[in-house]
Amino acid sequence: MGRKWKLVICITSLLIILGLPTEVHAHGVVIKYTSDIEIEIVATYDTGEPMDGAQVLVYAPDDPSTPWLTGVCDDKGHFTFTPDTSKPGIWDVKIRQAGHGGIIHIPVGEDAVATGSSGGGYSGLQIVLMAACVTWGIIGTALYLSSRKTARKRA
Amino acid sequence: MGKRLLVLALAALLAASIMLGGCGNGEDAVGTLQFHANGEDFVRQGFVSKDGWSINFDHVYVNLADVTAYQTDPPYDSLSGGDVEAEVEVSLDSVYTVDLAEGGENAPPILVGEVQNAAVGHYNAISWEMVKASSGPAAGYGLVIVGTAEKDGQSIDFTIKVEKEYEYSCGEYVGDERKGIVEDGGTADVEMTFHFDHVFGDAESPMSDHLNIGAVGFEPFNSIAEGGKLDEDMAGLQAKLSAEDYATLVDVLPTLGHVGEGHCHCE
Repeated sequence: MGRKWKLVICITSLLIILGLPTEVHAHGVVIKYTSDIEIEIVATYDTGEPMDGAQVLVYAPDDPSTPWLTGVCDDKGHFTFTPDTSKPGIWDVKIRQAGHGGIIHIPVGEDAVATGSSGGGYSGLQIVLMAACVTWGIIGTALYLSSRKTARKRA
Repeated sequence: MGKRLLVLALAALLAASIMLGGCGNGEDAVGTLQFHANGEDFVRQGFVSKDGWSINFDHVYVNLADVTAYQTDPPYDSLSGGDVEAEVEVSLDSVYTVDLAEGGENAPPILVGEVQNAAVGHYNAISWEMVKASSGPAAGYGLVIVGTAEKDGQSIDFTIKVEKEYEYSCGEYVGDERKGIVEDGGTADVEMTFHFDHVFGDAESPMSDHLNIGAVGFEPFNSIAEGGKLDEDMAGLQAKLSAEDYATLVDVLPTLGHVGEGHCHCE
């Protein structure tokens, strides 16, 4: 083995020890993880009639006066939103329709619960609001695996 | 060296005092919380009952006691009922007879009273009692409804007096705005809302609406009026109305109290 080859082997070994990527050992695995929560509101009268098209106002814990999000329920009385989990605390969701309304209080963060319900409205005809907290994007929304091998020819 | 240490110690003590004083001021931050009573446009402007009677009110007296607002965490759920539990609460210390029909058609809700040193925070629950007045225009009753009903050229002057007492416990106000958020030096309000369309029904709502299904309407009252007048308390109504109509009235009266559109628990 000539001096030239000894030098190449030494440099390659050094690179491996230092953990630097090389074309020869490209088997790195990159796994990325993100998770979030999605909250689904179901708004009905206690007769079961959905609050179709009801107005929805969502308030974040850090600003109880200004709606963080507004929207309307779909034809089944459903409304879905993803809270900003950097704002833990009680998120309030107000549902209103034609003079009838209710509010539900949803803990987000350490005290988060999977489901909850609340009522408001008027006599005989209660407004029933239910919130389901669904973990979505679950583990591995982005999963990336790369491996590459390069055969090197000996010179 | 000794002097320098003494100066440093005094400076540290001064800084600590300032910091603690600042914390104390934060805890003592207060504002004003007003309590309003609101009969809504139904009372101020009149409306047509579910059975077609045009109803206008001269006076709607409610006698309010133990009016209290709370900061609750977790928020009070009126559907579950029970007492309101809170670490912070403010109360009005008197009994008030309020005429919900006071003012014109566009009058604002009635200011019942206010607390000027209310701790800052969100007053997200309220309770009050509707009790028999000891004096004044509603003496002997917690609720007195005075008005006129007209239909097809017929006119009935009516006075309905309710001697039964009610205790309402409610969560947060539900309406166009969020109420009850007291900031340092600011003024906020909470509201006791009364829905009289629950008694008479509302011609503008579908007859299949539960509001109308559960309402008495005015025709039963017309049927017991004499000479174009009706003046009865609950005992008199029990004696003269049909058992079914009286039962409907008894069932609907506890539902008068609301917080905007939000439901209250009533005992």
